[in-house]
Amino acid sequence: MDYRIEQNGAELKISLSGRLTFNDHGKVRAMIQEMVQSSANRQILVISGLEFVDSSGLGMILVAREEVSQLNKNLTLRGAQGQVKRVLTVAQLGKVIDIED
Amino acid sequence: MTGTSSASVNIRNSRILVVDDNRVNRHLLVAVLQRGGFSNVGTAEDGVDALARIGEAPPDLMLLDLMMPKMDGFEVCRQVRANPAWKDLPILVQSSLSSSDDRKHAFSAGATDFVTKPINATELLSRVRIHLENQALLRDLQQYRNRRQTELALARSMQERLLPPPSRLAQARTDLGLSLSAHFEPSSELGGDFWDLRRDDRDRLIVWLVDFSGHGVGAALNTFRLHAILRQMDLSNFDPAEHLREVNERVCPLLRNGQFATMLVGVVDQATDTFHYASAGAPAPMIWQPGDDVPEFGDSSGLPVGILASARYENRDVPLPVGARLFLYSDGASELWTSDDTVLGEEGLLEIARQHMHLPDDNHFLDGVLDSLAALGSFNDDVTALVLTRRR
Repeated sequence: MDYRIEQNGAELKISLSGRLTFNDHGKVRAMIQEMVQSSANRQILVISGLEFVDSSGLGMILVAREEVSQLNKNLTLRGAQGQVKRVLTVAQLGKVIDIED
Repeated sequence: MTGTSSASVNIRNSRILVVDDNRVNRHLLVAVLQRGGFSNVGTAEDGVDALARIGEAPPDLMLLDLMMPKMDGFEVCRQVRANPAWKDLPILVQSSLSSSDDRKHAFSAGATDFVTKPINATELLSRVRIHLENQALLRDLQQYRNRRQTELALARSMQERLLPPPSRLAQARTDLGLSLSAHFEPSSELGGDFWDLRRDDRDRLIVWLVDFSGHGVGAALNTFRLHAILRQMDLSNFDPAEHLREVNERVCPLLRNGQFATMLVGVVDQATDTFHYASAGAPAPMIWQPGDDVPEFGDSSGLPVGILASARYENRDVPLPVGARLFLYSDGASELWTSDDTVLGEEGLLEIARQHMHLPDDNHFLDGVLDSLAALGSFNDDVTALVLTRRR
């Protein structure tokens, strides 16, 4: 998995690409660190470039949501495709995190 | 190379064997070692004597001369290395033979290191210390690894004992006419998958298949917790959705942020010819009846347990008349990476199940599916698969 971060005023966009799995643990920790330190109140994980996520990857997204919401910031998942979209749908993750097309 | 001794290993009591046919040399080497703080030093006069001493009490390091009567140092090296028990013994060759050919021969015979006579006391002690420290660290590491392997093997057998024994499967077949075959394979010694089989008070068979996020020791510990929780729960007049709600409520406070489990639980209701189930984000179950051309997916959407304490679940029904079959699996089976670097997916697994769906024996069906999967790629997550056939 690779990620790119861009801040636009009060909005932080984190674009993920590749595969998000157990092996990305370290990278995701660094990414969450950047999200937590950002002043942006609205944070968007753009996952349209993500081709695969496993259950560990899903867990990491939930950790990001938890850490960001503890700072009263809002996290949205945007643009899930293919397998990633199916995983989010089956896990009904929309119940705990905002999901946009 | 430094002579400082690492604080974590104690090499003072190490046993050193000095091998030299010259008495003056032997005394000199022993004196140098003793001044360097090594008191446990033995001596041998030639190669034959050296091997006898090693046989009596293997040293932690040997200082070995090359040119000796009876048996020379090269042969000692070879014989020591030929014995598996001594293959890691550090052999520090000390010799006045110092050509590069001599060194080459010594190393190819099995020497660990080489010092040239006349002996420089500081250099000799430095090298002795380094090799003893390496030896002690290596031994530490081996002991740690052995202990860890023993513990993991024990934990693995404990985890296998969480699963239903063959007798319970046989009973389901004789009492209820439900035959079952299951496969459980953690990706490392321990895994985060779990499945179980019980009966409710109306003698209906309940089946669970659970997959904790991640794998290895942490995920495995969670399977033990869940097993304990399930044992305490009331299964009378079993309602899958209500059961999931309660499991989730109990599991939520136990799991760390980011940990969760997907779970499917259902009951075979032979009076209504249905499989009545609820799912917390588990892989979609496959169901088919005699005469079907292809298995059908059941809906398995639902929030995994451990994420939101207030989560609610939905009961679903699929027809399960006599002859019908149910195939449950963990995502380790469907998220297999094939050799052309694509993920198999549930559709891919459905196609594999289709190829074997008409094999009447449950074991044959499961073996067929697993063999097809193994031919496609290698598993990198825990794999559990379970097939149930309604025989009457």
